[in-house]
Amino acid sequence: MYLVANIDVNICAATSCKLCTQYCPEANTILYDEEAGKEKGLKYGAAYVAVDRCKGCAQCVWVCDNMAKHHAIKMEMIDQIEQAALTENIQYKEKTTKAQLTKPVPA
Amino acid sequence: MSLDYMKFTPGFGKFMPKEYRDLVEHGPFGRKVSVSQVGTFKEILEEHPMCAGCAMTLFIRLAMISFPNPEDTITVGTAGCGRLAISQAAIPFVYGNYGDQNGVASGLSRGLRLRFGDRPKDVVVMAGDGGTADIGFAQTLHSWFRKEKFTTIMLDNEVYGNTGGQESGMTNKNQVLKMAPLGKKFEKMDMVGMAKVAGCAYVATVVPNNPRRVESVIKKAVLIAREIGPTYIQAYTSCNIEYAIPTDKVMEDAKNVENDRYRFSEYITDEAKQYLAEVYGYKEYLPKPAQALTKS
Ligand SMILES: Cc1ncc(C[n+]2csc(CCOP(=O)(O)OP(=O)(O)O)c2C)c(N)n1
Ligand code: SF4
Ligand code: SF4
Ligand code: SF4
Repeated sequence: MYLVANIDVNICAATSCKLCTQYCPEANTILYDEEAGKEKGLKYGAAYVAVDRCKGCAQCVWVCDNMAKHHAIKMEMIDQIEQAALTENIQYKEKTTKAQLTKPVPA
Repeated sequence: MSLDYMKFTPGFGKFMPKEYRDLVEHGPFGRKVSVSQVGTFKEILEEHPMCAGCAMTLFIRLAMISFPNPEDTITVGTAGCGRLAISQAAIPFVYGNYGDQNGVASGLSRGLRLRFGDRPKDVVVMAGDGGTADIGFAQTLHSWFRKEKFTTIMLDNEVYGNTGGQESGMTNKNQVLKMAPLGKKFEKMDMVGMAKVAGCAYVATVVPNNPRRVESVIKKAVLIAREIGPTYIQAYTSCNIEYAIPTDKVMEDAKNVENDRYRFSEYITDEAKQYLAEVYGYKEYLPKPAQALTKS
């Protein structure tokens, strides 16, 4: 198994500073869902990771911890993550994206 | 090389892979996108085999987002790590043999001007420090002296990354590398100084830990090269493998190196300033209003 980045929507959607996306070396990997967390009353939408594209470098963790100071991203074993986004389940929209979350690897 | 080449032949759209459909429907072609909007549109760069956490990868990604007209852009590269990613983008890529990239780009940019006249077609070279300053040195300098109108970007990881750690002209003095075990014997080459002497209209040094600044210098360099003259960007893009930088410390390293010896610098000729102001509305380069006369 291997590590990928996982973003805590509860922390991210409280501010959604949009920093980690600009620093992930991989394209199309950290995306935004402007609606994420709104059902819980959180205002800003949140970033999420297309785990099939993530190379596990943890640069986003450094950025969220040290630049944004939000501590919303953790590296986790891919089979330990309950719900994650895969590229094939991501829909691009006008100014946002929406992912249908699934268990990333077969149980 | 135009907006149309991206589109599907009518009726074929539904058979195309999802990544391709996303690109046509939600990519950056034919509209303005910026680094601050990443994560909400489909980027032209696809998956590639460059190492995890490589700063060069991040720089290439940011460059691709920053091209003013991706649908009218051709990239030129050569042997070295960068081409592994640059070639995996939805814009045409020309591979010059190692060191030939600025010669190839000279011919390409002249040909495009003959073929398309006034319609801007942007040629952007992205090559490693070895490709640009060592084996490609003569062609790089000649393209500048000859005032060839295209952008040269050096992906300066201060080593031959792709071949396992030999020193390049851009490696710092005394640096020990896997294949330079006694340390480098002479100074890092001053390619920025040479770019100015050779007549580049715009020269900048940049580090990818400031994505919006990368965006700004790439846009200016590409626009100025359309009509004014050659432009050169030298980007510090560390090799975390050869310099043993843990991947989660790559941005910390970039910040430290920027503060220490790779400060942001920008040189722009008056002609280029005037061009950006008049043609592309750059307010920072508009002539300053004459000082109001103060009553004595
Ligand atoms: C004519 C020729 N000589 C040598 C090589 C082998 N070669 C491939 S990449 C490379 C070094 C690349 O170093 P650099 O240009 O600094 O790019 P980096 O890989 O560090 O990004 C060399 C020597 C080659 N491909 N072609
Ligand atoms: S840096 Fe952290 S808080 Fe900011 S968008 Fe990314 S995950 Fe959310
Ligand atoms: S771990 Fe690296 S590749 Fe994965 S999302 Fe974070 S920055 Fe991107
Ligand atoms: S060898 Fe170095 S420069 Fe090349 S992809 Fe790996 S980290 Fe990047």
